[in-house]
Amino acid sequence: MAEPIVELRNITKRFPGIVANDNVTLDIKKGEIFALLGENGAGKSTLMSILFGMYEPDEGQIFVRGKEVHLTSSKDAAALNIGMVHQHFKLVSNYTITENIVLGDEPLKRFGPFSWVDLKGASEKIRALSLEYGLEVNPNDKIQDLQVSTQQRVEILKMLYRDAEILIFDEPTSVLTPQEIEYLLDIMEELRRGGKTIILITHKLEEIKRVADRCGILLRGKLVGIYDVATTTTQRMANLMVGKEVDFSVDKPDHEFGEVVLDVSNVTVYNDLKVKVVDDVSLEVRKGEILAIAGVSGNGQVDIADAIAGLQNISEGSITLNGEEISNLSIKERIAKGISYIPEDRQKEGLVMDLNLRDNLAIKTFDREPFSKKGVLQPNAFEDQAVDLIDRYDIRSGQGSQTITRSMSGGNQQKAIIAREVELDSDLLIFVQPTRGLDVGAIANIHQQILDQRALGKAILLVSLELDEVMALADTISVVFRGQILKTDDARNLSKEEVGQYMMGVTK
Amino acid sequence: MNIDKIMTDGLAFALPLFIMAIGGIYSERSGVTMLSIEGFQGFGAFVGAITVVILRTAMGASPDWLIYIATLAAVLGGMLLALLNALMVIKLKSKMTIAGVVINILAVALTSFLSSVITGAVTGQATTKIQLSVAPRYTIPGLSKIPVIGGLFQNIYPFAFIIIVVAALAWYVLYKTRYGLRLRAGGDNPHSLDAAGVDVNKLRFSAVVLAGGFAGLGGMAFTYTVANFSPASYVGYGYLSIAALIFGNWNISTTFWTSMFFGFSRSFSDQLVNELGLSSNYSDLFSVMPYVLTLIVLIFFSKHNRPPRALGEHFDKGKR
Repeated sequence: MAEPIVELRNITKRFPGIVANDNVTLDIKKGEIFALLGENGAGKSTLMSILFGMYEPDEGQIFVRGKEVHLTSSKDAAALNIGMVHQHFKLVSNYTITENIVLGDEPLKRFGPFSWVDLKGASEKIRALSLEYGLEVNPNDKIQDLQVSTQQRVEILKMLYRDAEILIFDEPTSVLTPQEIEYLLDIMEELRRGGKTIILITHKLEEIKRVADRCGILLRGKLVGIYDVATTTTQRMANLMVGKEVDFSVDKPDHEFGEVVLDVSNVTVYNDLKVKVVDDVSLEVRKGEILAIAGVSGNGQVDIADAIAGLQNISEGSITLNGEEISNLSIKERIAKGISYIPEDRQKEGLVMDLNLRDNLAIKTFDREPFSKKGVLQPNAFEDQAVDLIDRYDIRSGQGSQTITRSMSGGNQQKAIIAREVELDSDLLIFVQPTRGLDVGAIANIHQQILDQRALGKAILLVSLELDEVMALADTISVVFRGQILKTDDARNLSKEEVGQYMMGVTK
Repeated sequence: MNIDKIMTDGLAFALPLFIMAIGGIYSERSGVTMLSIEGFQGFGAFVGAITVVILRTAMGASPDWLIYIATLAAVLGGMLLALLNALMVIKLKSKMTIAGVVINILAVALTSFLSSVITGAVTGQATTKIQLSVAPRYTIPGLSKIPVIGGLFQNIYPFAFIIIVVAALAWYVLYKTRYGLRLRAGGDNPHSLDAAGVDVNKLRFSAVVLAGGFAGLGGMAFTYTVANFSPASYVGYGYLSIAALIFGNWNISTTFWTSMFFGFSRSFSDQLVNELGLSSNYSDLFSVMPYVLTLIVLIFFSKHNRPPRALGEHFDKGKR
C-alpha cells in the first residue's frame, strides 16, 4: 500500500472538563479503508471533526499529503479534498437532491449582471456520478420523500461531487437495515477500488472485519493502538475498545409464559398528518415474555408503542391490559393501570432536561403518597427515593440527586428513566430503542435490566431498530413493515437474515 | 359602489404590505423569526420623513423628486434598525420573539422622541407629526379604461412601480441565485450550510438587514398615502404583513395573492362604509374587517402551513 495521505501527530483536544483526544498519533494510507473504533465518548468523532476542520486541536499537527495544514473550517477540508458523511445527515429537507449537493459550491450561469444557479447542468453531472459508483438516485427527488439509505447516498454523492479523495464516514450504518448495510459496505469497497481513501468511524466490529484494512482503537480519548484487521479477532478488538474483557453472551433461561397481559387487536392509527401509520395491527404479550417489534425506522413501530402508552389515539381496534379495555383511558390512567414506558427519545420525552435527577425520578408518581400529601409535595420523600434509586441502579451523576439531568451522560440518563419506570412495578414495560446511542458497557447493563424484568414475570414489549438486540433478547419477534405486522413467530424459528428480509417487506 | 376606487385603494394598500411581507419571508426563510416588521417600517418611514423635512428646510423648496430621496432614506432607516435587531438575535443570541417585541416598542418611542427633537431643531417648531407633500399619482392611458379592473391603473403612486420592480428582483434573488439557495437552506437545516462551508450567521444577518430595507420601503409608501408621519403611523400593518406571509406559506408568489386579498378586503370595507353612509362608529366596526379576516384565515389555514423547519433556532456550531 502507498504512502500516508493523512498523518495526525500528537493531537490533543480538550473540552470543558474533559479531554476528548489525548495525544493521538496515527497515519492513514492512500487507498485504504481505515476504521476508527471506540465506544461512545471515546473521541472518534472529535478526532475526525478535527480532520474535517470543524474543531481546531489544542495541540498537535496535521499533515495531508505530506504537507502540514491548519484547518479552520470545513471549507479548508473540502479544499484538501476531504469529505465527511455525518452521523446526522446535513440535508435540507425541502430541497431536491441536486440542490442539496450543489449547496455551498453552486455552478453559476451568467447573463449580463445576472447570475443564477445552474441546476440543470448540475443534475447531469450528479446523474453521471451516481452511475459511475452505483449510487442510484434521481437528482430531482426531494430529500423529504427519500428513505434514510437514499439520503445517505446523497451525502456520499455530495462528497464525490466535490472531488473528495478522503472520505470520512461517521457511524454510517447505525440507521440502516442489514441489507442496506451490505449495500453500503459494497459501495465503500467500490470507492476504494476507485482510489479513494476511506475512514470509517464505528463501534460495530463485524463491519470492520468485513471491509476495513486497518483499525485504530480509541479508549477514553487515547489511542490504544492500530491493528491489522485481517489478523485481529473481533473479540480482541472488543476487549481493546472497552479496556476490559467483555461478555457478549446474555443469560436468558427458557421459561413458561403466563397469561396474556397486553392484547392489541386490529389497531389502526393515523398520525397528525392523517397518514395511516399503523395498519390493522394485532399482537399479544404474555407474562414473562419479551416480544420484540423489529423493523426499519419509520415503519410504524414507535406509533404502536405510543398508541399502547396513550400518546397517540387509535381510530380502530382495541387494546386491553389484563383483560381490561384501556384504549379510551388517559396516559395517566394507563400508568396507574400498570404500563411503564421507556420512550425512544430520552431527552425529549423521557426526562425534563432542566430539572434535577431527583424530580425526574418522581415525575410519574409525584402526586401520589408519599410524594405528596393533601396536594403538598414532600421533598424528603423525593430525596429518599432518589438516593435509593441512584444506589440500586448505579446512576452516576456529578451532584447526586441534585444533578441537572442535562449534564448527565446518555447512558446514565437512560439508567434514570429505566429506574423510574421499573419502580412503577407495572405489569407491562414498553422499551422503545432502549440502547440507542449507548456504549457497549451501558448496553449490557440495560439488557440485563430487561432480562431481570422478564425473570420477574413482567410482560415486555421491545421496539428496536438494532437487529442484534432483537435477536439477543426476544422470545417472540414481530416484524413491522409500512405499519403492518408482516410476521410474528417464536424467535428461535427465525434467523437474523430472515428477519432482515421481512424488514424489507419481502414475504415468502 | 365605486369599483374603480376599490381597485385603486386596494392596490395602494396591498403593494406596501406585499413588500414588507417579502422582508419577513427573507428573514424567516433564513431561520430568524421576524416580528419586528412593524418597527422597521415605522422607523424607516420616520427616517424618510425627517430627511424630507431637513432637505425641504435647507432648500426652501419641495420638489417632487424628494419622494425618491425619502424612499431611499426609509430603506436605509429600516436597515439601520434591522441591524440592531440582527445584532440582538444573531450576535447576542437573545430570544427572537422577545427581540422583535422590544424592537417594535423601541421604534415607537424612539421616533416620537426624535421627531420632536429634530423638527424642533430644524424648523423651530417641535412636533411629532411630520407633514409631507402629497405624492404625485399616475394613470396609465388605455389600461385604465378597462371595465372593473381599470381602477388598478388609475392614480398609481410612484411607489407602486418601485415596489413591483423590487419585488420581482427579490423573487429572482430568493429562488434563482446562489444567495437565495443558501438563504432558504438556512431556515430548513443550517447545519447543511455549515457543512458546505457557508457562514450561517453572516447569511442570517444579511437576511434580517434586507428585511429592514424592504419594510422601510413599505413604511414610506404607507406614509405617503396619508401624507404625514406620526407615531400614530404604527397601526399594525407590519403585523398584517406577517399574517400575509404566514397565509402565503412563506412563499413570495403565494404571498403576493394573500397581500392582494388583504388589500382589497380593506378597500372594499372602506367603500362599503362610504356607500352605506354609516356614522363613524360603524365605520370603525367595518375597518376591523381586514383584521377579522386575518384571524379567520389564520385559524383555517395555519394547520396546513409549513413554516421553515429551523425557524427560530439559533445556530450553534457545536450543537449537532
